[in-house]
Amino acid sequence: MTALVLSMPDRRRVLALSIPFLAVIGSMAIGLLLIAASGKSIPDAIEAFLDGAFGTAFALGASINRAVALSLIGLGFILAARANLTNVGGEGQIAVGGIAATAIALWPPVAGLPLGLAVILPLLAGTLAGAVWGGIAGVMKVRFGTNEVISTLLLGFVALLMVYWCVQSTALLRQPQTSSSTLPESLPIPDSTKLPGLTNDPGSPLHIGLILCLLLALAIAIVLQRSTFGLRLRAIGLNELAARRAGMPGSILLVVALGIAGAFGGLAGAIMLQGEQFYLKAGFSSGYGFDGLVVGLLSRGSTIGVLAGALFFGFLRSGGISMEIMAGVPSALTVVIQGLIVIAIAGSVILVEKLEGGRR
Amino acid sequence: MLLSLRGLGKRFGSLQALEGITLDVHAGTVHCLLGENGAGKSTLCNLIFGVYAPSAGQMLFGERPWLPSSPAEALEQGIAMVHQHFSLVPRMTVVENLMLGQAKGVLKRREFGDRIRDIADRFGFVLDPDAVVGELSVGERQRAEIVKCLMRDPRLLVLDEPTAVLPPGEIGALLDICRRVADSERAVILVTHKLAEIAKVADSVAVLRTGRLVAQADMKTADMGALVHAMVGREVKPLDVALGDSKEPEAGAPAKPGFALVCDGVTVQDRHGATRLDNFTLEVRPGEIVGLAGVEGNGQSELGMVLAGLLAPTEGRYFIGDTELTHAGAAAVTAAGGGIVPEDRHAVACVTAMSVAENMYLNKLDRFTRFGLLQRRALNAAAEVQMKAFDVRAAGPEVAFSGLSGGNQQKAVLGRELTLDPLVALVAAQPTRGLDVSAVEAVYRQIRAAARRGVGVLLISSELDELIAVADRIAVLYRGRLVGERPAEIGERGAIGALMSGQVA
Repeated sequence: MTALVLSMPDRRRVLALSIPFLAVIGSMAIGLLLIAASGKSIPDAIEAFLDGAFGTAFALGASINRAVALSLIGLGFILAARANLTNVGGEGQIAVGGIAATAIALWPPVAGLPLGLAVILPLLAGTLAGAVWGGIAGVMKVRFGTNEVISTLLLGFVALLMVYWCVQSTALLRQPQTSSSTLPESLPIPDSTKLPGLTNDPGSPLHIGLILCLLLALAIAIVLQRSTFGLRLRAIGLNELAARRAGMPGSILLVVALGIAGAFGGLAGAIMLQGEQFYLKAGFSSGYGFDGLVVGLLSRGSTIGVLAGALFFGFLRSGGISMEIMAGVPSALTVVIQGLIVIAIAGSVILVEKLEGGRR
Repeated sequence: MLLSLRGLGKRFGSLQALEGITLDVHAGTVHCLLGENGAGKSTLCNLIFGVYAPSAGQMLFGERPWLPSSPAEALEQGIAMVHQHFSLVPRMTVVENLMLGQAKGVLKRREFGDRIRDIADRFGFVLDPDAVVGELSVGERQRAEIVKCLMRDPRLLVLDEPTAVLPPGEIGALLDICRRVADSERAVILVTHKLAEIAKVADSVAVLRTGRLVAQADMKTADMGALVHAMVGREVKPLDVALGDSKEPEAGAPAKPGFALVCDGVTVQDRHGATRLDNFTLEVRPGEIVGLAGVEGNGQSELGMVLAGLLAPTEGRYFIGDTELTHAGAAAVTAAGGGIVPEDRHAVACVTAMSVAENMYLNKLDRFTRFGLLQRRALNAAAEVQMKAFDVRAAGPEVAFSGLSGGNQQKAVLGRELTLDPLVALVAAQPTRGLDVSAVEAVYRQIRAAARRGVGVLLISSELDELIAVADRIAVLYRGRLVGERPAEIGERGAIGALMSGQVA
């Protein structure tokens, strides 16, 4: 009834706000149908999903930790996007960050450092490695005009193979080969270099990465909205020629923007390594860089949007893994559902914009 | 009589682009349409070619009423047009390009290639149908465009500014082709603002000025001087009266020694190796306004980019005051006191999606930065003062720059550049293009006031009246070269116009 009382523009607004929700619910419903079609029980799948996403302290912590990694990639993405740069190399930046963090954490003098330096130094090393990885793409862009979508993506594949190389070669990070069955992994990093937990509950994997992530999100929000640097990035992104005419160092800004995006990726890699995985192995990131890219894209430049999207995807991933283990739902199906949700959100955003445009 | 225009008029909103055009074009002749930028030449072509519908008058084509609804219909009925900007796909061969839109079903390459060769033979030129368009010279591409038109066997061929893009050596060949096309019982309309170049080929000439036909003549008996005068020699707008001030520097203004701006042999070659600006040497003294006249596309854009610090010249040096800026970049130009009002405001001068305040201080953001944060309140307050000082009318400093009218945008840009500290030289390129009368006046007033304060001004414009009204002396740029310099006096209008049209004095 209320809908009838509302005036036309108000009805449009209600519609506009409800579209994304309906879209997500709809795509989830399609997901459930797919699960049913694959012969699994829907109630079992739902129960497994909820359990895995936030059923226990462990599940909740794991979901949030996933969200931290996704947020960092997303934050870096929206900063670069402000300068009209598209960083699709999150996965590779995570990889080099993980390598650098492992290498420093396993360096014997580091484990004994006081004042938290044992934790901080590997984090910084990962951040720096990511910054270099992103910065290379930036230099290639301003020097040779290489499109950063291409260069960040391809540098990502290089980085992933570098992880493989590092854990295959004892001269690098592979653990000493004592027998033919020694796995191609690094040694576990010392306890003193692991990220401290956030709660006293030993059952919760939640670590201080969350605090770090929230502080950085605040920093990014300030940089983008309040700082002169953020405004300059925007000017470069909107009209590079005019920005250069106004005396802005265009090339430097572009390299720095991609460097910062890479730094966030590297930090995400270091946090994943020091917070949860504790040793380096091939494929340790399993797609966080690409999910983080989606989070950044869907946020449309908003910091809050990145955090919300990352949390959502974090739960989705945890729940999906649990569905696979407990309810036997193929993991490919969770990826399919995730894709449906992305399309639903992106599509509804376009729809909402059309509706809002129609009001003018 | 092939084409006949009777009292043709075209109005765009409040702008009367064409009025009362009555003109006859005969088969077998080359008809030249002469006029300055904005005189209405392109509008007239677009009416004939069916891009626009006339708002008054009649057209007759082959004795029948002519009112094409689209260029496609015009082509169908026998009118073809070569535009100034070619529409060829560079990666495809000539024959492939010409088959686009004409071939149906199975491609008959050989047949088309033979037709191209036939047409080229008939009109006395050579064109390889299998050459890739991207590897052809501009002249050859133009010939490909002409062949594309001639394949439709038109009765009337319209060429819009065909000589503007050609190097001098290829102009003669183009004119020969025009002659031969006309000799095959077709008519050719040649649109140009360079009278000297086409004088030898035209049979008759019509001169357009501000949308009216001001002169018509048979080329055999025409007085070239009178035609040039008709093209450019209108009464100078009462600018001086409107401005109400003189060009003389204020009494007591200190005469600064040296030069405000110096170009010494500046040469620019584009990436194809064509020389766009050739050994350009010019000195502007403090307090002086030097006008640089010239029809657009004669090197002004390249000069503007060099002076803005956005393009390093191939050769030569560039100074503002005593600072050499040849390879220094845009920030150094600003630091040395070079104010730049670029010709393409939207591409170079502003970020239209950002606010008025942000745009007015785009090059001075450091002034409003504390601990890396932008002091928005201070920025907006300063912008508000600035907006008042330069009469920038907007709802407030935070509205988007794109919401401002062209005049207010230009006043904002001018204000930003004029408040540089120090300000040694101002380069303003086409600063009044597209502005309404009051904004034009405001821009002139600000430029003159700057000169009185001792700033050296280089005013680049294709509007001769503007230069005569504002500048102290006028140099003329033609095909990238300085071809002469005259005092900025109304009596010199004909002489300057002749220089602009390539009639080297």
